[in-house]
Amino acid sequence: MINRTTTVALAAAVAAAALMSSGANAQTANADKEKCYGVSMAGKNDCAATGSNSCAGTSKADYDAKAWKYVAKGSCAKMEVTLKDGKKRMGTLAPM
Amino acid sequence: MPAQPDGNGLADLQHRFAHAVLQAPLEVPDGIRHDVRPTRERRFGVYRNNVKASLAAALAARFPVVERLVGEEFFTAMALVFIEQHPPRSPVLAEYGAAFASFLEEFDPAADLPYLPDIARLEWSRYVAFHSADASAADIGRLAELPPEALGSVRLGLHPAMAVIASPWPIVSVWSTNTHDATPEAPAADWTGETALVTRPHLDVLVQRLPPGADLLVAELAQGIALGAAADAASRAHDGFDLATALATLFGAGAITTLSQGSSS
Repeated sequence: MINRTTTVALAAAVAAAALMSSGANAQTANADKEKCYGVSMAGKNDCAATGSNSCAGTSKADYDAKAWKYVAKGSCAKMEVTLKDGKKRMGTLAPM
Repeated sequence: MPAQPDGNGLADLQHRFAHAVLQAPLEVPDGIRHDVRPTRERRFGVYRNNVKASLAAALAARFPVVERLVGEEFFTAMALVFIEQHPPRSPVLAEYGAAFASFLEEFDPAADLPYLPDIARLEWSRYVAFHSADASAADIGRLAELPPEALGSVRLGLHPAMAVIASPWPIVSVWSTNTHDATPEAPAADWTGETALVTRPHLDVLVQRLPPGADLLVAELAQGIALGAAADAASRAHDGFDLATALATLFGAGAITTLSQGSSS
């Protein structure tokens, strides 16, 4: 049996949950992530800007400049990768 | 040394061949030609190596964070022990690796990383979720529309791809930084347990933290318990349980697919 208090508490919780979800729904888990180009290893990208591969997990080269992966927001430009020729470069928020 | 398969012929040879491929000491099965160069041991060794290397590669693809945590060399060695102890039981490679997490619990060389089995559980759940049946997630608006007196008796159906992994270790933080960051961040100062919620509302598998006690709510809902009784049980079992946060997280992640009215309240 459900008493009156529980019903009120349930209704309040559901209303609060609906408020918390509005807006948050569309972003879900990737909300605190940003697309970072040029830092993913071959086959480990989340997607790509154009051309070089179809999408998730399909990049053929390490650190493909057109392939991106989700990284924690604010960390992309701080990410340094070492290319095959030994040169270093940082990740960028736009395709290179 | 018999060079030809015996009376049972091909099926028998195949059985012994399959056994010898995964067996620890190299023992070439009878019936493999020996009048060839290089030696049959070396030739059969190539075969064995290919089988084991591809199984190890499949495990590495399935458990990338475990591999990153222990390193490639350690992972490969560990995978080979696993393959020997748990050879594939199904011809479907996609089903291989379910026992990896429990194997890690018993694997002494990895005992320094006590959270490794739970990380493997999380990765396996993601993998299973990826291949699970599709289902449309329900919007929380549908729950909010119900009259208050109906909320207690509503039953929430869970998404077939959904999984919950409760751990005494911060597995979501460890998994997340080792998945998204080129240089893993040190986990939070308070090394407290986290419960992972794995869902696949659309094409992508999502991983997020479940708030405290929400796993108890999910366990009740999974048994078909109505929302009112499930919420009661969760708050009795966990002081910090907050129904609003739990519902927002579950609906937001697409973990709930159906709302139905039960007969009893």
